[in-house]
Amino acid sequence: MVLATVTALQATLLGGLLGPLVLTGVLVIIPAVVAGVLPRLLRTAALVAAPLAISALLVNFFFTPNGATVLFQIGPITATAEGLRVAVEAAVRIAAITGALTLFYLTVPLGSLVVDLERRGVSPNATFVISSAVRTVPAILVRSAEVTDAQRARGLDTEGSLRRRLRGLLPVIAPVLLGSIAEVEERSLALEARAVARRGTRTLLWWPADSGLERFSRWLMVLSVPLIIVARITGWLG
Amino acid sequence: MLELTEVEYRYLGARTPALRGISLRLAPGEVVGLVGASESGKSTLCLVAAGLAPRFIGGTVRGTVMLDGQALGTLPPGEIAGRIGIVFQDPSSSLTGIMSTVFEEVAFGPMNLGLAREEVLARTDEALTALRIEGLAARDPDHLSGGRRQLVVLAGILALRPDYLLLDEPTSELDPAGARLVADAIARLAAAGGAILIAEHKTDLLARLCTRVIALRAGQPALDGAADDVWHNPSLTDLGVDPPTRIRLAILARAAGVDPRRLEAVG
Amino acid sequence: MTHLATEGLVHAFPGGVRALDGVTLDIAAGESVALIGQNGSGKTTLVKHFIGLLRPTAGRVLVDGGDAADRHVADLAGQVGLVFQDPDRQLFSGTVRGEVAFGARNLGRRGAALGAAVDAALGAVGLTMVGGLNPYDLGRARRKLLSLAAVLAMDTPVLILDEPTTGQDLAGRDRVAAVISSAKQAGRTVIAVSHDLRFVAENFARVVVLRDGRITADGTPESVFAESGWSTLAETGLEAPESARIGARLGLGSTVSDGALVQALGAAQ
Repeated sequence: MVLATVTALQATLLGGLLGPLVLTGVLVIIPAVVAGVLPRLLRTAALVAAPLAISALLVNFFFTPNGATVLFQIGPITATAEGLRVAVEAAVRIAAITGALTLFYLTVPLGSLVVDLERRGVSPNATFVISSAVRTVPAILVRSAEVTDAQRARGLDTEGSLRRRLRGLLPVIAPVLLGSIAEVEERSLALEARAVARRGTRTLLWWPADSGLERFSRWLMVLSVPLIIVARITGWLG
Repeated sequence: MLELTEVEYRYLGARTPALRGISLRLAPGEVVGLVGASESGKSTLCLVAAGLAPRFIGGTVRGTVMLDGQALGTLPPGEIAGRIGIVFQDPSSSLTGIMSTVFEEVAFGPMNLGLAREEVLARTDEALTALRIEGLAARDPDHLSGGRRQLVVLAGILALRPDYLLLDEPTSELDPAGARLVADAIARLAAAGGAILIAEHKTDLLARLCTRVIALRAGQPALDGAADDVWHNPSLTDLGVDPPTRIRLAILARAAGVDPRRLEAVG
Repeated sequence: MTHLATEGLVHAFPGGVRALDGVTLDIAAGESVALIGQNGSGKTTLVKHFIGLLRPTAGRVLVDGGDAADRHVADLAGQVGLVFQDPDRQLFSGTVRGEVAFGARNLGRRGAALGAAVDAALGAVGLTMVGGLNPYDLGRARRKLLSLAAVLAMDTPVLILDEPTTGQDLAGRDRVAAVISSAKQAGRTVIAVSHDLRFVAENFARVVVLRDGRITADGTPESVFAESGWSTLAETGLEAPESARIGARLGLGSTVSDGALVQALGAAQ
């Protein structure tokens, strides 16, 4: 699953116009339906992708140079059919990338990612840093909300003009950073007490299921990346 | 035996030592209470005795800390964890933060020890059973109440089967129900013969468990003796320590010219 | 002075959990009220409504008769001071004095008036001598007293404290008790959320018990902690203070504080 989604991402980056759409359908939507996370996937991906896709759409549509087929003109801005094509391609690609990443985030439990990385020989310290980083984001969001509440209770105006709000940044950012650092220090001591510093191999309790079919499709996808690159370079794929 | 002799410890860059003249022996089966005002050195003492200071947080130590005859500083990192367990105040920053079930969280320590898989599973089961939280094994530790979370942290330490257990205000961040849960678990561990050093403001909990109590003032031992003698020492309140309820009430009664015997008769 | 009230207050968090499920409460100016109950019973959720940090899902919150919904948090903060449980979610200044001045300055105090407010607040919690230190050079218990001073300096008619005695030693508890006592004497309303029932009995005239977002008891410490109320307390994971339990066992009535117990014992002898 890990490699599947990452590969989908790479393949999408290189595909043409129809390519990303097909890839999104086969590699993102169908697995999402199977895993039963399609509604959540669509919601999350839309939230992340919509602003990006819309801006990419507009920028590409109006600012793609050398378009021959003029559709309409607003002042100095010329809209061309070529621009539209590039714009739609960009938007579809963004949708595919966010779809793949969101699918990964929704379906891969952190625990099995950790185990999988370790099993593949990544050092326990490195896997710990990776997984902690993934976990830190929501924790920091919660902390920021709490700090904002506390400072608003002390009369910090977060609802006023832009200048006032900018002035209110330090009282919010500083406790979030200081608190996060203090918590990391506390946690690192607690982890030392759980023998993380011990050298030598760790015991793994279980392995994420990895069937022959999964291995086969993973390799197929990895191989497809250089194939697509070659095809693009030789112009075979258009 | 975990033995500190004339220990002085200074945090990195600190002008004055946080601990001075600390001598302490924790023998198998002994439960020692550690009391004193805020910032009197209770937590620092726990860190030094657990070998975490100065090794992981810097600073300088003088005097000796011996674990069963070996100097703590000479033992390789990670080995001490299997022999001295330590639990801190705040359970949420003591969890690994990456394990999605209580079972995996508790197994984390034994996994680090590189034990055989069956041994890891057996120890995890044993620790969960000892704290009566087998029923939580499949739950997400982040979604438990504070008291239960602290039990998970304690189980994660017990699964390492330490000979000595250091508890730094293990109930201070918990609500009354959570604090009772953890206090009862500690009482069972003490009754089972564990060697425990426990720092606490709540002396009622210590009065239940400890045979010996040490009171710190500004990093130095101010009182050290049999629990009853320390609880009755008139200078205890000046050290920022509230005596256990029964003793506090008896002292108040005597001061008011009231006979405290009826209070003491209530079991 | 400020009169607080809620009418049928309901607060549902996203996901539908009703943290408050119809709370009607009237707190007159100058009252001292302790809110008690298990974690998750809705105590902190309730007090956050008085300063507008949370807004009702249904029902109303009234501050001096006016609907709090019409007012900004920054405006309510001039009337209602709320000290959070965890000091580390707010300390940001380079110095203790700067930290204490922050709220008062937000309320518009400047110059000598600001200096005097900071001095008084630091004195009240016993941190005068460390005004120039970095807040993080203090231990957690003193950082908590610092966050209390930071709200005291705002000199609000209402003072709300969330778990003020957690982690405090004997001297720290005495400091907090003295702060509450002088606020009461100045006619300010004092509300505390607390698990420390002995502290509650010694320092508050009224105790409100919350369970699953509803009020299950409301009265003097003597009535709420009386033997007849123990089952209500137990439902929310609480036990009456030990002096009350000993007093009941000795047949001395509802002796909610150490002093009351010793006095009743003396009278019985």
